[in-house]
Amino acid sequence: MSLVELGVADLAKYPFLPEAGERIKQQGLSLDDLAHPDYHVVMERAKDRIMEAIKRAKVSTNIDDPDKEILSFPLALLIVRATKLEHLARRYSLGEAIRVESFLEKENESMISHIFKTVFGIEPISVIAPVGSQKFDVKISIPEYLKRAIQFHSPEWKLINRVVDGGYVYLRTRELVRLIREEIRRIIQEKLTAIKVPSLSSEVQLVVEEISKAAPPPPQTRIAVTPDKYPPCVVHALDSLSRGENVPHYGRFLITTYLLRIGKSVDDVVALFPKAPDFSDKITRYQVEHIGGLRGSRVRYQVPSCRTLLTHSLCFKDEYLCYDIKNPIQFPSKIGLTKLEKEKHKSWTRKR
Amino acid sequence: MDEKTLAALRHAYKDFYFKHSAAVEIPSRIGEREFGYIPFGGSMIRHLSFKEGGELLATLVKEGPSSAYYSCAYYHDPTAPMVEKGWKCADLIFDIDADDLNLPCKDGHDRWTCKQCGFTSIGGKPEKCSKCKSTRISVLNWVCDNCLQGARDEATKLLDILKGDFSLADSEISIYFSGSMGYHFSIQSHNLEGLDQAARSEIAGYVAGIGLVPESIGVFKGASFEDLMRGLPYSNEPGWRGRLMHVLELENMNQEYTRDVRAAVVSTVEKLRYRGFKRRLETLARNVSSRIDPGVSTDVHRIFRMPGTLHGETGLMKKRVRRLEDFDPLIEAVALSEEPMEIEVSNAPKIRLNGEFFGPYRSERVNLPTIAAVFFIGKGLAKIPDG
Repeated sequence: MSLVELGVADLAKYPFLPEAGERIKQQGLSLDDLAHPDYHVVMERAKDRIMEAIKRAKVSTNIDDPDKEILSFPLALLIVRATKLEHLARRYSLGEAIRVESFLEKENESMISHIFKTVFGIEPISVIAPVGSQKFDVKISIPEYLKRAIQFHSPEWKLINRVVDGGYVYLRTRELVRLIREEIRRIIQEKLTAIKVPSLSSEVQLVVEEISKAAPPPPQTRIAVTPDKYPPCVVHALDSLSRGENVPHYGRFLITTYLLRIGKSVDDVVALFPKAPDFSDKITRYQVEHIGGLRGSRVRYQVPSCRTLLTHSLCFKDEYLCYDIKNPIQFPSKIGLTKLEKEKHKSWTRKR
Repeated sequence: MDEKTLAALRHAYKDFYFKHSAAVEIPSRIGEREFGYIPFGGSMIRHLSFKEGGELLATLVKEGPSSAYYSCAYYHDPTAPMVEKGWKCADLIFDIDADDLNLPCKDGHDRWTCKQCGFTSIGGKPEKCSKCKSTRISVLNWVCDNCLQGARDEATKLLDILKGDFSLADSEISIYFSGSMGYHFSIQSHNLEGLDQAARSEIAGYVAGIGLVPESIGVFKGASFEDLMRGLPYSNEPGWRGRLMHVLELENMNQEYTRDVRAAVVSTVEKLRYRGFKRRLETLARNVSSRIDPGVSTDVHRIFRMPGTLHGETGLMKKRVRRLEDFDPLIEAVALSEEPMEIEVSNAPKIRLNGEFFGPYRSERVNLPTIAAVFFIGKGLAKIPDG
């Protein structure tokens, strides 16, 4: 592992690193100082950071004035924290994470290695020789890969679709960086929630109010799920069941966990199973109650993830409607759909 | 099962544990695991814990259970209710069962019986009884050399993936004959033990060839001949890319263009188009993969049959496999005594145990070595005669 000297430009790129906080401390600057009119440009940049995250879901990457970049980061965290808007905190930290990702993608090998090791505990190994007909930049151990890749739903991240050899997964830098976006976001959000907001000057208070007004409304709470809104995997399993086909054990587990989760009663769920070939009412009731946490270990089982359903060949994903959900319970989530997709989603729902 | 037969089984199993306690493998980190057993004629007793091996062996000798299990997981408090156990980590486990392979030989030796009308027929379990249309059907899974060979082939493929793709050392992989119709793999690796259910599901999917997309081997919608020539893998590449290209090449070897097998593969891809090739790929992946039960590998709380204990349905031992290539379970996993036992057996197919054939039997009273008598009783085809 090479020793990496972090310059001011590096800290401007990665202001969440402890070294950036150290630099501010060494300069003897407090948050109150940064809110002073002398640091007007810093305040403006802090506001911009947040507004960019709100409007474009990404904080811009200009680092012409590194000190402004370093100083505006903690100030932006303070402002977001002061709004007490949790969904804004999430959106802002994601915007900052995507900014960091843009820098990391273009970063040199030793810096990548330094940041991944010190911040994320990953030790990427450089790959020089091509693997068959493909070229890669790094390889990381299978567990290090899996711990992060399981958050992605797209097939390209499935282990089977990666090049795996000798206990390692081979990646391009861009992919390695994408893997840790959620971790960067979490680190930033943790920094944000750790802030104890002091009494703010009227200038800062004004900015906080301005940002609060500009923030998007919080996501809506889930509405009751009717059968026409069941996810395709549940619909498929229920259809098989109603045709008297033998739905595999895990398919029944899916039906049971899903229906109990959306508020159906044990009786409702048990009533679905009489047509199954190996039906026994007493056993079915016991199992449904067990899954619902009413018996045995009293653990209420969760709805299996889309990834697990795929492994059991029970996923019948609808590219549009399932979009990027990770668990059938998120269906029909509209989060993340573009305007065009939302329209298509609406027209589909109408058709049904 | 009547009490007399249960007592005979209990006696045979207790005798085995008393005389062959050294055969039982004491699981590592015993104090952190949950144990359970099923007594003959009873239901599962679990959430047990043992501080050391002697205590565990004493329980086996005392109870002579039909089946004994241990958790693949390590807990802070193994005896607590599931939600309070405090999961620390777990061995990664794989289960291969010949019954899941749906081999053609099943149609020759498996048997089903309608619980409604009593009609019996040879073959795998149907959706409905062909006579009364009832769906209440019981099934007798039999085991033949072909089934066991099939399970061993799957185990061999799994071992190749674990050693090659995952780079696991021999010392991290324990292979066992399950005691019934397949193989159990138990992986004790510091790197893998902390993986959660989702990560294990990925590993299970990888091993079982599930979720593969054509793009991962360079085939995408609208790809030209040149794109495919450039993007397809070479058969000597590691992992799934090489594995798939190897079978694609073998398949295309006999085509007219065998001078350039790569071009022949490309031509096949073009002919099938994207969707057709995707389906072809799924079939290939299924053949090349190891047909494990993904549910077992994904379950981080699973209790697994204990190595060195007897299977309740066969009397065979869950036996450690040193050399997979020449392991014969119907010889090496035979563990009970040769002492004669009189049983009343009906409608039992033939079975080979310890190099000797027993059966087939119609309905008769026979004197068999304990190994065979217990096997037929375990399969529900025999009992100790009355009087």
